[in-house]
Amino acid sequence: MTELAHDWFPRPLPDTVSLGERSWLYSSYAFMHSHGTVRIGPDCGIYNGTHFELGPEGSVEIGRYCTIVGAIIRTNARVAIGEMTFIAHEVVIADDPFAIPPRGAAEPAVADILIGENAWIGARAILLGGTTIGDDAVVGAGAVVRGNVPAGSTVVGNPAQVV
Amino acid sequence: MSFDVRTVTGEWDYATLPQNVRLGERCWIERPQSFERFRSTRSPGVVLGDDVRVHGWTVFNVEPEGLVTVGDGSVLVGAVFMCQAEIAVGRDVVISYQVTIADSDFHPRDPEERRRDAVASAPQGDRAGRPAVESRPVRIGDGAWIGIGAIVLKGVHVGAGARIGAGAVVARDVPAGAVVEGNPARVVPA
Repeated sequence: MTELAHDWFPRPLPDTVSLGERSWLYSSYAFMHSHGTVRIGPDCGIYNGTHFELGPEGSVEIGRYCTIVGAIIRTNARVAIGEMTFIAHEVVIADDPFAIPPRGAAEPAVADILIGENAWIGARAILLGGTTIGDDAVVGAGAVVRGNVPAGSTVVGNPAQVV
Repeated sequence: MSFDVRTVTGEWDYATLPQNVRLGERCWIERPQSFERFRSTRSPGVVLGDDVRVHGWTVFNVEPEGLVTVGDGSVLVGAVFMCQAEIAVGRDVVISYQVTIADSDFHPRDPEERRRDAVASAPQGDRAGRPAVESRPVRIGDGAWIGIGAIVLKGVHVGAGARIGAGAVVARDVPAGAVVEGNPARVVPA
């Protein structure tokens, strides 16, 4: 059982959550609605406003040196985030555009969301089911992404397009 | 400092809500903070139907003359209601994360009026000097779904069963059963 020394929320981290060495997580409140598995690598910062909203089949893997300023991650599939990726304020990463929080019941199978290494996701961007973000890619603020963002590219807008 | 976990699990005492908030049977409200900016003096000022679920990201920012109604079975995940007069949400509506619904611009558009509004709105300003601002009711039809990050603006009627895509900005009416996406939101093939 892991408890965060600084936590205001009176619960330990769920057993299905692991936090790497030297990583900072603002609170166990991040897992208030979670029914899935979360693996956070070493040297990550996961800040206030981040919520893991995982269905029973949901899993999130975050590589080392990632910063998540404030993202809602709602999945019943796999969300993988490569090392050194930066995710800004009020980002939503979700299987479904009409997502609601999980309640622990079985949910239909959905597509994974994969984010490469050293990617940069701008504030208020929305990444939907089946999205793949390549290494070193940049997603502009407020972009709505569904599909493939090539490595090294920059996408902006709704729907997101390469610029 | 101890923290009462019930204030974030929907198990707090709903009797602490203002008297003009009416709740249906089996209504669930995750956090009382959703009503921190509720200041309607209408009776009622908020009506939530049976089996409505209100998650903690939802905000009822309701001005003194405002009324927000939500029909039976609807789910409000992150619905920020900015209400001056009336926002009516139907039955079995889904409003996803980070959605804003506003029935007014809350400030004038005319540049000179905006200057007056800025002065009157200052912390020590005379609010009585604020220019009048039009509000137009917003209606969300039964069974409509509003996607992540969408914004629905004043006067919009969203038809029954419509789908508002993620990130859409809706300033015009949406026909029943239609699917709209983008900014400005446009109808796309269902």
